[in-house]
Amino acid sequence: MIIASLFFYLFAAITVAAAFMVISARNPVHSVLFLILAFFNSAGLFVLLGAEFVAMILVIVYVGAVAVLFLFVVMMLDIDFSELREGMLQYLPIGVTIGAILLIELFMVFGSWVIAPETAGFAASPTPPIDRITNTEAIGQLLYTKYVYLFQAAGMVLLIAMIGAIVLTLRHKEGVKRQVVADQVARTPAGVQLKDVKPGQGL
Amino acid sequence: MYSIIVFLPLLGALIAGFFGRWIGARGAGILTSAFLAVSAVLSIWALYSVGLNAHEPHMERIEVLRWVTSGALDVYWALRIDTLTVVMLVVVTFVSGLVHIYSIGYMSHDPHQQRFFSYLSLFTFAMLMLVTSDNFLQLFFGWEGVGLASYLLIGFWYKKPSACAAAIKAFIVNRVGDFGFALGIFAIFFVFGAIDFNTVFGTASEQVGQTFNFLGYEVDVLTTICLLLFMGAMGKSAQFFLHTWLPDAMEGPTPVSALIHAATMVTAGVFLVARCSPLFELSETALWVVTIVGATTAFFAATVGLVQNDIKRVIAYSTCSQLGYMFAALGLGAYGVAIFHLFTHAFFKALLFLGSGSVIHAMSDEQDMRKMGGLFPHLKITWAMMLIGTIALTGVGIPGLFGTAGFYSKDAIIEASYAAHSGAGSFAFWMTVLAALMTSFYSWRLMFMTFHGKSRASKEVMSHVHESPNVMLVPLYLLAAGALLAGIVFAPYFIGHDETHFWASSLFRSESNHIVHDMHEVPLWVKWSATVMMLVGFVLAWVMYIRNPALPKRLAEQHVLLYRFLLNKWYFDEIYDFLLVRPAKWLGRFLWKKGDGWLIDGFGPDGVAARVIDVTNRVVKLQTGYVFHYAFVMLIGVAALITYFMFSGIGGTH
Amino acid sequence: MQSPFHSADLTTASPELLLAGGAMALLMFGVFRGKDATGPVNVLSIGLLIAAGLAVLFSSSGTVTAFADGFVVDGFARFMKILTLIGSTGAIILSLHVMRVERMNRFEYPILILLATLGMLMMISANDMISLYMGLELQSLALYVVAALNRDSVRSSEAGLKYFVLGALSSGMLLYGASLVYGFTGTTSFPQIAAAINHGETGLGLVFGLVFIISGLAFKISAVPFHMWTPDVYEGAPTPVTAFFAAAPKVAAMAMFIRVVVGAFPNITADWQQIIVFISIASMVLGAFAAIGQTNIKRLMAYSSIGHMGFALVGLAAGTEDGVRGVIVYLAIYLVMTLGTFACILAMRGRNGAVENISDLAGLARNNPMMAFLLAMLMFSLAGIPPLAGFFAKFYVFLAAIEAGLYVLAVIGVLASVVGAYYYVRIVKIMYFDEPAEEFEPMPVSLKAVLAVSGVLTIAFFVYPGPLVAAAGSAASSLF
Repeated sequence: MIIASLFFYLFAAITVAAAFMVISARNPVHSVLFLILAFFNSAGLFVLLGAEFVAMILVIVYVGAVAVLFLFVVMMLDIDFSELREGMLQYLPIGVTIGAILLIELFMVFGSWVIAPETAGFAASPTPPIDRITNTEAIGQLLYTKYVYLFQAAGMVLLIAMIGAIVLTLRHKEGVKRQVVADQVARTPAGVQLKDVKPGQGL
Repeated sequence: MYSIIVFLPLLGALIAGFFGRWIGARGAGILTSAFLAVSAVLSIWALYSVGLNAHEPHMERIEVLRWVTSGALDVYWALRIDTLTVVMLVVVTFVSGLVHIYSIGYMSHDPHQQRFFSYLSLFTFAMLMLVTSDNFLQLFFGWEGVGLASYLLIGFWYKKPSACAAAIKAFIVNRVGDFGFALGIFAIFFVFGAIDFNTVFGTASEQVGQTFNFLGYEVDVLTTICLLLFMGAMGKSAQFFLHTWLPDAMEGPTPVSALIHAATMVTAGVFLVARCSPLFELSETALWVVTIVGATTAFFAATVGLVQNDIKRVIAYSTCSQLGYMFAALGLGAYGVAIFHLFTHAFFKALLFLGSGSVIHAMSDEQDMRKMGGLFPHLKITWAMMLIGTIALTGVGIPGLFGTAGFYSKDAIIEASYAAHSGAGSFAFWMTVLAALMTSFYSWRLMFMTFHGKSRASKEVMSHVHESPNVMLVPLYLLAAGALLAGIVFAPYFIGHDETHFWASSLFRSESNHIVHDMHEVPLWVKWSATVMMLVGFVLAWVMYIRNPALPKRLAEQHVLLYRFLLNKWYFDEIYDFLLVRPAKWLGRFLWKKGDGWLIDGFGPDGVAARVIDVTNRVVKLQTGYVFHYAFVMLIGVAALITYFMFSGIGGTH
Repeated sequence: MQSPFHSADLTTASPELLLAGGAMALLMFGVFRGKDATGPVNVLSIGLLIAAGLAVLFSSSGTVTAFADGFVVDGFARFMKILTLIGSTGAIILSLHVMRVERMNRFEYPILILLATLGMLMMISANDMISLYMGLELQSLALYVVAALNRDSVRSSEAGLKYFVLGALSSGMLLYGASLVYGFTGTTSFPQIAAAINHGETGLGLVFGLVFIISGLAFKISAVPFHMWTPDVYEGAPTPVTAFFAAAPKVAAMAMFIRVVVGAFPNITADWQQIIVFISIASMVLGAFAAIGQTNIKRLMAYSSIGHMGFALVGLAAGTEDGVRGVIVYLAIYLVMTLGTFACILAMRGRNGAVENISDLAGLARNNPMMAFLLAMLMFSLAGIPPLAGFFAKFYVFLAAIEAGLYVLAVIGVLASVVGAYYYVRIVKIMYFDEPAEEFEPMPVSLKAVLAVSGVLTIAFFVYPGPLVAAAGSAASSLF
């Protein structure tokens, strides 16, 4: 148990530190890398909880896909974040004040909060023991029965995201030549005209 | 049938007013006139069936709708039909119908004829509401309705500043009277708990001698009510002190003067007192006041009429004076006599006005008699009509034999005032006799200055002088017939031996009131006095304006003070201007500039509005367009709410 | 393991399933059909919304839950769903002409509206924090997209982006609050939260959670101080989209708001009452004052909607059945008035395209008296002048507030509506008394129809208010 606790604090501490670095790093690329670090450590926390499926998903999806996508976007956009931050600096005092007030108040609330010992038994769908059923299977059974409604709703959300991305970004530019397979296949030698183009002259 | 009489004019007014553009100017005139003609015919039939031919004196009540229900106040809109009402119906619809017809000719060059006819019909409707009313609220409705129509018609040529001023003056002076009238109605509701005539008149005798405390004085209830009501009557009927609006009202088109300011509306006060005879009869003080005010007006207005030069103003003062006669009669308890004079007066005064309208029409809108004269050869028919009006007004006739309308009614008043044998009665007698002299004088003066002597008009005007078209003359013929015959035909019913049966329950006289009986038994000299005065007046006028036209000027120069005094109408306008108008204007200006502009606007609407704009500007500035500002605001909101709950220790349930 | 999923659940959610399936089918149709698909998709979308409305109408009465208590259909849900569907249908009808003229007639637009409507229906029926959140995100995401629909316009893109960023922030708050509540009660289900609170599991933490949840919800109904996005988004988004924003989402979000506070927190009414009183006053006052300073009619309508949400919250602040009934009546009337007003705004098209300034309405009474008259009636109604419908809307909520003893709130509300009347009546003044500006193009039939229906309902409501009030009453009673 001590080792588990040790790892919990290790992962937790790194997660928090990495998360802080995400927002404070000067270089946006560093930010994304710190984000990946935070994801990794969160995955570790999930493993400690016995939720290895979620842990793996986190690594594969977030680290493998989302964060890398971020990295590409950040590198391609060439945004100077420090310049953006400068404007924000003048609002730092008030922002910090509000944040501090909220933080203190929340701490005061949580300071008096104790977890009742029997709370663990209240869990709506407790994790089944690993030797009876695998984690993935258990989630699947729950996800497609009890939470099917929410699962489908999530699917709809993603559908909208997809539609939105297409609606807002896809453009059919005039004058852009595209490959039309049908045209290519249907073309006969008769319709082809060969031209001898001299170098440096063009058509 | 009565509903048709009353509501046809309203229908006409609505059609002419709202659809005037479709039916056209001529259409509006013909339509409203036709409606009025129907009403008039029905009214005459009503007079015949209710007043003249009734076997049993009766009173009919026709409910139109339940009008107001508020607490103890429960008012129906009902038509009260009795002899008094039908007499008024005849006067109103007959004169109004003729004026409508006359106006078709008189107003033919005016671009706003539809509006004119709409107003005329509206006025007629309001007047009919007034005379058919079954309770004080309805009476007040009609009262204000005619006031409104009068205002609209005086100011009909609203582009003329003097017309607007006259309209406003008429409205405001009437407000003074109406204030009293309204208070009177409140008092009636307060005392009787009802405002319908049956209840009030039925229980009036129970209130005799009752008093109430006002500022430490014990005041008689009935007297107070009567005086308040009489105040309204004074305003509407242009009695002494509240008469100043009537001459100015002559700014309106002449048919309007004939209809509203001679024949009908101004007699509303007379009607009111007659209608309320069950109340007035119970208060001697009130009757005394009515007599004094009436007699004074009769005398005062006649004196002013002597020197006026505007043809319409002369007749206007004459109207004022004749109304004074009526009130004098009312105050003496001779209600039937007063109404009789109202009835005959309507004919000859409308005739005079319409005749003078014909003159004015012929003279290209010239009203000043000093610029007339010698019109007789050009306007023979009009002259004849005016002559009939004049002899009717002055009361030409031979006592005991035959006479014009005015002869019967006016002389009856003079006789009645003598027969009253009271202080007020003899005051009234002498005042009215003197007024009769002056009436005769100024009437003939008008005739002579207008039609006889040398013409003082410019050549150009004279060249245009022409007799009026038939559409204007026919009403004159009818009115002339009325002016000649109304007296001899109706005298037996109104004031003669059929009088009790004719009036039945519509007029109330207490047991001790025998004035109508007494009035026939006055000494012979009294009967002749009015006739003599009429003759004297005629001779005086003839001497001064035909025989020796320079005489009036010399007289005026010799008695310059008196002349000025009369010419300026006893300086009433000036006194009112000094006493009331100027202080009121000063007060108004003070309240406007300081009270309203500085205090109320500054701290009220304007101030608040300015602060609102300030707040708005500040709020709008919050909307910077920066997303992080918006996010900040949200976070501040959350933080504020949470902090609030931190310190308030959460709401009530814990 | 208990059987958590019944086929009967599908029947319960049939309107939602209809919309989801239909939207996807239309999407495929549109993609394959290409450019000329917009017309049919529009028509079919309207048909689909009507079909969903019928499905709601003819669903079995009473309170039915489904999907392991995550989804509830009761009288309240049915009524609000009908309102929402009407709002969405109206929005599509309003968009028909303008989208064609402005060359924005993309078939995705009605589909996104369908999906947003699906999200709204899910919000209205949510009986659980998670299903609430799913519905909310479904709706919001679609709204973000349509706000930026005119992607070639900087203002439209900016509007979409702002809405998205701030919406994400508000979602974060909502989630944070939900997790706090979950932490303190051990459940996300509304009835169980209510039960847990009833057992005494309350504390400052729970109230904090409530504050965060309400903040997130208040963003959706654009109540002050979570309103800041509204004017910018209303102004920037294409006008038909703004019309949509102002109508259906407000109804759905308010329904969700009511469902959360009444369904999950009925035992700490005193707590949320204070929050709602605060945001209600702030919304009414800010809506009234800020609108005065506007020259753009879309911005003006944004502040107007902020103010109206404040008025509707007055009824909720009462925390009683009558109060909720007042809110429902208010929303119904607000929906009708808003659609009518936007029909007029969309008809503001001169020769050089759409105009949005209030001064462009000058002299409308002479150019187009019928439109001016109906718009004037709508303005008077929005200002709450009797005997128009808007007056009764305010009347019911103020009545409920007074009966609940919230005199200060009612008085401030009345004062705010006095200030607010200024800018509504000013529009009437501009239309009737100012020198005529450029004449508008003739109004297309679709807008005329919406305006006529809205105008007639607004003017004639007082003749026969019974059915709406009774239906709202029974809807409200299903919550208590």
